[in-house]
Amino acid sequence: MKVSKSAKAFKLLVAGAFALSATIVPISGAIANTPNLGAKCTDEGMNTGTTSRSLICVKNDRGELRWARVKLSSSGKSPVSASRSPAGSIEFHHWRGEDKTVFDAIIAKFEAANPGVKVTQVIKDSTSYQATALTTIRSNPKAAVFTTFRGGQFNDFFKANMVTDITNQRFVTNNVIQSALAPATVAGKVYGIPYHSLFNNPLYNADMFAKKGWKVPKNWTQLLAFCKTAKADGIIPFAWPAATRGNAGQILNSFLMNSAPDLATIEQRVIDIESGKADLNSAWFKDMANKYKQMNDAGCFPNNVTGYNDSVAPVDFATGKAAIYPTGSFGISSVTKANPDMKGKIKMFGMITTDDKPLYEGITNNTFILSVNPKSTSRDQQIARAFISYLAQASVAREYAVGTSQHTSIVNVDYSANVDLLNVSDIMGKKLLLAPRFLFLNVAQVRDPMEDALIAIGGGADVNKTLTDTSAKIKQNLGK
Amino acid sequence: MIYRTIKGSLLTVFALAIIIPCSIVIMGAFKTDLKIISEPLALPESWNVDNFKRLIDSGSVYTPAKNSLIVAFFSVFITLSLASLAAFAISRLITVTGKVLFVLFSVGLAIPGQVNIIPIYLLFVDLGLTNSLTGLVLVNIALTLPISIFIITAFFRDLPKEMFEVAGIDGAGPWRIYRSIALPLSRPAIGATGIFLFVICWNDLLYPLMLITREDKKTLPLTLIDFRGEYLTEYSMIYTAILVASLPMVIMYIAFQRSFIAGLTQGAVKG
Amino acid sequence: MRKSKNMIRRGESKVLLLMALPAFSIYAVLYLYPALSNLLWATRRWDGNPESEPETVGFRNFTYMFSNDDVFIQSLGNNFRFMLLVVIFQTGFSLLFATYLTKNTRTTIFLRTLYFFPTILSSVSVGLIWLALYDPNYGFINASFKALGFESLALNWLGDSRYALYALAVTQVWFHTGQMMVIYVAGLQQIPQELYEAAQVDGASRWQQFKHVTWPMVLPTTAVVVAYTTIQTFRAFDLVYTMTNGGPLNSTEIIVTLIYRNAFFGYQYGYAAAQTVVLVVVVLSITWLQRRTLRLDYGVK
Repeated sequence: MKVSKSAKAFKLLVAGAFALSATIVPISGAIANTPNLGAKCTDEGMNTGTTSRSLICVKNDRGELRWARVKLSSSGKSPVSASRSPAGSIEFHHWRGEDKTVFDAIIAKFEAANPGVKVTQVIKDSTSYQATALTTIRSNPKAAVFTTFRGGQFNDFFKANMVTDITNQRFVTNNVIQSALAPATVAGKVYGIPYHSLFNNPLYNADMFAKKGWKVPKNWTQLLAFCKTAKADGIIPFAWPAATRGNAGQILNSFLMNSAPDLATIEQRVIDIESGKADLNSAWFKDMANKYKQMNDAGCFPNNVTGYNDSVAPVDFATGKAAIYPTGSFGISSVTKANPDMKGKIKMFGMITTDDKPLYEGITNNTFILSVNPKSTSRDQQIARAFISYLAQASVAREYAVGTSQHTSIVNVDYSANVDLLNVSDIMGKKLLLAPRFLFLNVAQVRDPMEDALIAIGGGADVNKTLTDTSAKIKQNLGK
Repeated sequence: MIYRTIKGSLLTVFALAIIIPCSIVIMGAFKTDLKIISEPLALPESWNVDNFKRLIDSGSVYTPAKNSLIVAFFSVFITLSLASLAAFAISRLITVTGKVLFVLFSVGLAIPGQVNIIPIYLLFVDLGLTNSLTGLVLVNIALTLPISIFIITAFFRDLPKEMFEVAGIDGAGPWRIYRSIALPLSRPAIGATGIFLFVICWNDLLYPLMLITREDKKTLPLTLIDFRGEYLTEYSMIYTAILVASLPMVIMYIAFQRSFIAGLTQGAVKG
Repeated sequence: MRKSKNMIRRGESKVLLLMALPAFSIYAVLYLYPALSNLLWATRRWDGNPESEPETVGFRNFTYMFSNDDVFIQSLGNNFRFMLLVVIFQTGFSLLFATYLTKNTRTTIFLRTLYFFPTILSSVSVGLIWLALYDPNYGFINASFKALGFESLALNWLGDSRYALYALAVTQVWFHTGQMMVIYVAGLQQIPQELYEAAQVDGASRWQQFKHVTWPMVLPTTAVVVAYTTIQTFRAFDLVYTMTNGGPLNSTEIIVTLIYRNAFFGYQYGYAAAQTVVLVVVVLSITWLQRRTLRLDYGVK
C-alpha cells in the first residue's frame, strides 16, 4: 500500500517536472517519442533539472535506462531571503571574465535593492589570479568579497587568516547544498561558499557523433580507438588546450580518478609527492604519464598541441573541426559564444582511462569559493555578507546559471531555461569524484611543474627524461 | 646590381614585417573572432565599430587611459623638474660633493630598476602606497631620475662655460643662472628627455603589476594584459584594445616624429 | 680678495646643494635605501605573511641557488642566450639598415620612421600581437610558410621548448631594431664623406669600404648600442611575461620572471631578493666586460 502510494507520487512528480523541461530539451529526437515515465526511460541524459528533487535518465549496471535521482543533497532547511546591506562601496575579486556581464546585471539589481551600495568587479585571468590574489587582496581591504579556487589557493588564504568564519550565517546553513560546502570547511567551520558546481569532464559534439555514427568511448581501449577513427576522418579528436595550463590540467582529474583501487590510495600518493616522499618516477605517476603519451601516439591531440591555446580550442570545437573539448561544463559558454549554432548540441562524458571496472565515472568540483575579507571594515564585511546572501537566492543563482551555463551549489535552482545545462546534466547521475587535481595543495612548487611535465609528454616529449627532470625541479623547489 | 637587389628586398621585407602585423591588428579590430582565425589577412566585411562599442561599454578604456595619463604626466613633469635642478647643481659643483653625488646617481644607471621590485613592494605595503597612483608616480620618479640627470648633466656640461661665468661676475646667483640661462637654453634637450620618459612611464608593466590590484587604479598595459583572460576567446577584443591603447602614442609620434626619435635614441646614447 | 671669492663659492655651493636635495632625497629613499635593504632581505627567509617573522638564514639562499636550483641556473643560461642572440642580430640588422638608409631622401626618411615605429608600442601590445602571429595552427607566420611551400618551417614556435626562446628573441629584435638603427644613422652621418671618396679612388669595394672606413668609425656607436641592447634583454620581463610567462618547461624563464614568480607566486621573498642580488652582479660584470672589450678594440684601431 505504502509502496504503491509513493510510487504514484513519484510518477506524478516526474510527470510534472518533466512537463516543465520537456518543452526545452532539444537533443535530437529526445522528445520525439513520449518517454516511458516511471522506472524506465528512453533517452540517456534527459533530466528534470538539478533541484534537490530532480530526476535523470541514466544507464544502470546492466545497461538499462532508468530514472534516477540527481545525486546532490539538499540542505534540508528552507532557504532564507537575502539580508540587507548598509550603504557603501566594495570590490568583488574573481577570475571569471566570461561572467562579467551576468554579474553586472545581478549587481545592478542588488544595488537597486540596497540604495547607496556599490559593488565593483575586479577580474583577472585564472592564471594570474592563482598567482597574485593572496598578495593583492591582503593589501586591499576594499576587496571585501573575493573568490578562491578549491584546494591550494583556499588553503593559502586560510593559512594567512584571510577568510572569515561564516558558519552560522543562515544563508549558509539553509541556501546551500551542504555537501558542496566541504571544500571551504576546516575543522567544522565554514569559511566560504563554493558557488560553482562544476563538472570537469570532456564536452563532445553530440550532433557530430550521431551523424558519424561514433560511440562515446567507455574505456581506455575504446578511447584510443576513437582517436584513430576520428583522426582518419580529418577531425581533431581532442581539442586539448595544452598551451593554457589551467585548462590543460582538467584531464588530469580523469586520469587521477581511476589511477588506484580506492580514493584513500589516490590521496596518499598525492601527499607522498607533495611531501617529497615519492617522485614523478613512481610507478603510479609514470603510468598516468604513459597514457598521455599513448594519447599523443594515437593522434588524439591536434598538431603542435603544446602551442594550442584556449583561444583556438573552443573555436575549433565550435566550428566542427574537433569532436571533443576536454575541459568541463564551464567551457560551454566559450563554445556557444564562438558559434551559437552549437547550442543544444553539446553533451558531456566521463573520460575513463582504464579498461578495468572504473572506480569513478566522472568529475565534479565545487569551487569559486565566495569569502569575506577579514581585513575589511566591519561595514564593508556586512555589505559583503549581504551580497553573498543575495547570490545565494535560488532566483539569482538561476539567472547566473542560465546566463553563464554554469551549475551552482545553491538549492532549488531551476536550470531548465538553459539547454546546455540540461544536456550536460546526465553526468549528475554518475558516480562522481570531487576533482582530485586540487588535492595537490602546493601549486607553485609542485603542481605547476608537474602539469607542465604532463603537457610536454602529451606533446610528445620523452616520458622518462621529462619525469626525471621535473622530479629534480620539484625536489629543489621543496628545499628552497 | 646584386647589391641593389639584396638591399631592396631586405628593406622591403623588414617594412612588411612591420606593416603586416599592424594591419592585422587594425583589421582585426573590425572583425569577428571566427573571421580573425579563418582569414587573418582578409579585409573586414564592413568597417563597423561593434568591437569598439563593446570595449568602451566594458569600462576598460576611460579609467585606465586616465590613470595612465595622470601617472605619466606627473612622473615626467616632476622628474624633469627635479632632474634639471640636480643636473645643474652637479654640473656647477666643482667640489668633491658634486662628484660624489654624480657617482651615486650613476649607480642607479648601471643597475636595472627591476632589482628593487621586492624591497619597493615591501616598503610600499608598509607605507600604504599600493593601489595608489601617487605610489606609481614615486616609483617612476625614483627609477627615471638617474638617467634624466645623466642626460641633462651632459647637456649642461656641453654649454659654453663663459656664459655662466659672465653671469656670475654680474652677480647673478645659481638660482637665477639656472632659471634665465640654463633652462631656456636646454629646452630642446629637456623636451626630448620628456618624451623618452613619457614612453617609459606610459608603457611600464612590471611595477603596476605588482603595486596595483584595484580596478579603478589600473593603467593601460595592466588592463591590456587582463584581456588575455577576460576575453579568453576573443582576439577581436584584444586587437581593438591594442589599437585604442596605442592610438595616443601613434598620433603623438606622427605629429612630433623628430623629437620622438631624438628623445628615444638620446636615452640610449647618453645612458 | 682671495678670501672673499672663496666665500662666494661657499655660499654658492650651499645653494647648489639645496638644488640637488629634492632629487637626491627621493632617489635615496626610493632607490638607494631599497637597494641596500634588498641585501638584508637576501639573507632572510620569509613567506610574506605579516603574522610570521622573517627568519635569518645567512648565505643559505645563495648557496642553495647555485648548488640546488636547476631552474635558476637554466634561467641564467636563458638570459645569456637571449642576450647573445638579440645583441648579435639587433646590432647587425640595425647597422645594416642604417648603412642603407644613411642619406636623407624621402624614401629613407619614410623607412626610418616606419622601422622606428615598434619602439613606441608597449611591450604588452607587442607581446599580444606576436602571440597571435606565432599561433602554430592559425597564426600568420605559419600560414605564410605553408603558403610558400616551406611546411617544415611551420614550427610550434612558442609551444616547443626548443624554439620558444628564439621566437622571443625574434620579437625583441623586431621591437628595437629601428631604435638602434636611428642611433647608427646618427653615427654614420658624422663620418666625413671624404673618407669614402678617398677609398673609392683607391678602388675599394663596398665591403672594403665598410671594413676599413665604416666599421672603425662607427665603433663608439656600436659600444653604445651593444650596452643598451644588453640592458634591454635583462629588462625583457614585460615581453616574456605577456608571451610565455617562462614556459614551456622553463625554457624561456629569465631571471626577472623567475624572481617575480618566486616572490609573488611562491611567496619566497628572501630567496627572490637573493636572486636580484645575483642579477645585479651579473649585469654589472657584463657591462664592465663589454666596455673594456669595445674600448680596447677602439684603442687599437
